[in-house]
Amino acid sequence: MSTDKLLKSNIYSFGSGGPRGSAPVLLGGQCRCGYVFFPMQAYGCEQCGNHGDALTPCELSTGGTLLAEAVVHLHADKNRPAPFTIVKVALDDGPVVRSVLAEDSAAVSPGQRMTARLVPVRSGESGETVLDLRFTAAI
Amino acid sequence: MVRTLSDLRPVYVVGVGWHRYQNPSETPYVSLGLAAIREALTDAKIEWPAVESSYVATALLGMAAGRPMLRHLGTTGAPLVHIENASASGSTAFRQACIEVAGGISDVALAVGVDKRNPVQRSNTGIDHLADDAIVPFTHFALLTNEYAARYNASVEDIALVAVKNHRNGAKNPNAQRQQERTLQEVLGGKKVSGALTSLQCTPIGEGAAAVIVASDEGIRRYGINPDRAIRVTASVGRSERIYPPGVGFDAALTRETAELALAEAKRQPKDLDVIELHDAFTVEELHYIESIGLCPEGDGVQMLKDGALDIGGRCAINPSGGLIAMGHPIGPTGIGQIGEITKQLRGEAGERQHPHARVGMAHMVGVGAVCYVHIMEGRR
Repeated sequence: MSTDKLLKSNIYSFGSGGPRGSAPVLLGGQCRCGYVFFPMQAYGCEQCGNHGDALTPCELSTGGTLLAEAVVHLHADKNRPAPFTIVKVALDDGPVVRSVLAEDSAAVSPGQRMTARLVPVRSGESGETVLDLRFTAAI
Repeated sequence: MVRTLSDLRPVYVVGVGWHRYQNPSETPYVSLGLAAIREALTDAKIEWPAVESSYVATALLGMAAGRPMLRHLGTTGAPLVHIENASASGSTAFRQACIEVAGGISDVALAVGVDKRNPVQRSNTGIDHLADDAIVPFTHFALLTNEYAARYNASVEDIALVAVKNHRNGAKNPNAQRQQERTLQEVLGGKKVSGALTSLQCTPIGEGAAAVIVASDEGIRRYGINPDRAIRVTASVGRSERIYPPGVGFDAALTRETAELALAEAKRQPKDLDVIELHDAFTVEELHYIESIGLCPEGDGVQMLKDGALDIGGRCAINPSGGLIAMGHPIGPTGIGQIGEITKQLRGEAGERQHPHARVGMAHMVGVGAVCYVHIMEGRR
């Protein structure tokens, strides 16, 4: 029984390989028009405006290609002590997402193949480990 | 669009004024705004009761900040509306004032922008993101800098030259927040912010005010305004973000679409532009936008910069005011201050910053990427 908890279980989840065994999946959505988006929402499709049952949840792979990276040297929010690296990744499944690069990732530059994994970020109230999603260079 | 501004009756900028953009101070916004409005009235040589309608651009002052300011100009009962449209608030207020006059509702209208550096408040959409709390605007543009450098094989030094040029222009502008020339070494050696961006490559958000008065031919006649100093607004376009293919920057794509529409409305080509004030909150933006406006093919912006083609006296002066990087970006005033700078340039009244033979000017702002406004103006000379 896992004691791991996800920081944002509303937008990503454990991959099929178990808590830390494989890449997590992103909880995206697809519209009847074909437009794929992240995260899942029911407000309406940004492409065609359809809503309701036109929008269905789908799991997106975290596999993608790096578009850009930036090492952040200054950041006012104390919950995110600098330095850290932000990456912009074009997912193989369509959407472009931006998130934090894992601290132990190899150095990355545009064109790099990327994936994501769940890393411990802190301990929860009942002693469980809280995991958040980080991108990392794919091996 | 059923009609464009150029389909309506002519509208002119007849008065411009500022309160200097500056670091945050104890000065109340009321003082900042009144200084700009009174300077614009003096410039147009008209009195406050001539102004039939006011548009107040402000993003950070809270609800209905205009009346406590305008009341000190005397009681007229003229209509007043507040406009918040992120960084493009001022440009949007200007567009609405132009539309009101061009549409024949008023003959003389005011657009004034005023702001203090207060915290930005954005409402929760209910949609979560992976790490939005870690990505502030300078990091968004640090990512774009990395993308641009990789795609066009540009160096960090090349991109930083934008800041050297704009600080040089700002050093000649008494209304600029930063009035000091900077070497490339100073720009690159400054405090590291995010990615390749250093503090002198980022706009200093401060406070200030800018005001412009627009009028119709009828208004110009009625109040005896000097028609030779009136600068016609020949295009006004506002657009908003749509979905673009992966790898296409929305800021640049939105600018391309908006600038194309504005050039078509004014029946002009990019090569006709003599001066441009554009949204250079971060150095890489200036390169993206001159390419999107069509001054050169994508990726060639650095070469234009190195050739001096973007300098005052070059092929097309970009941000002769110093731009957002040196003149500053107090949010509400910024887009209106751009109109003021273009007006001075097209009148030939820009002093040390004067671009020779300036006849056609463009002002461009984006707001959080989501909106874009472009105006084209032409002198009578």
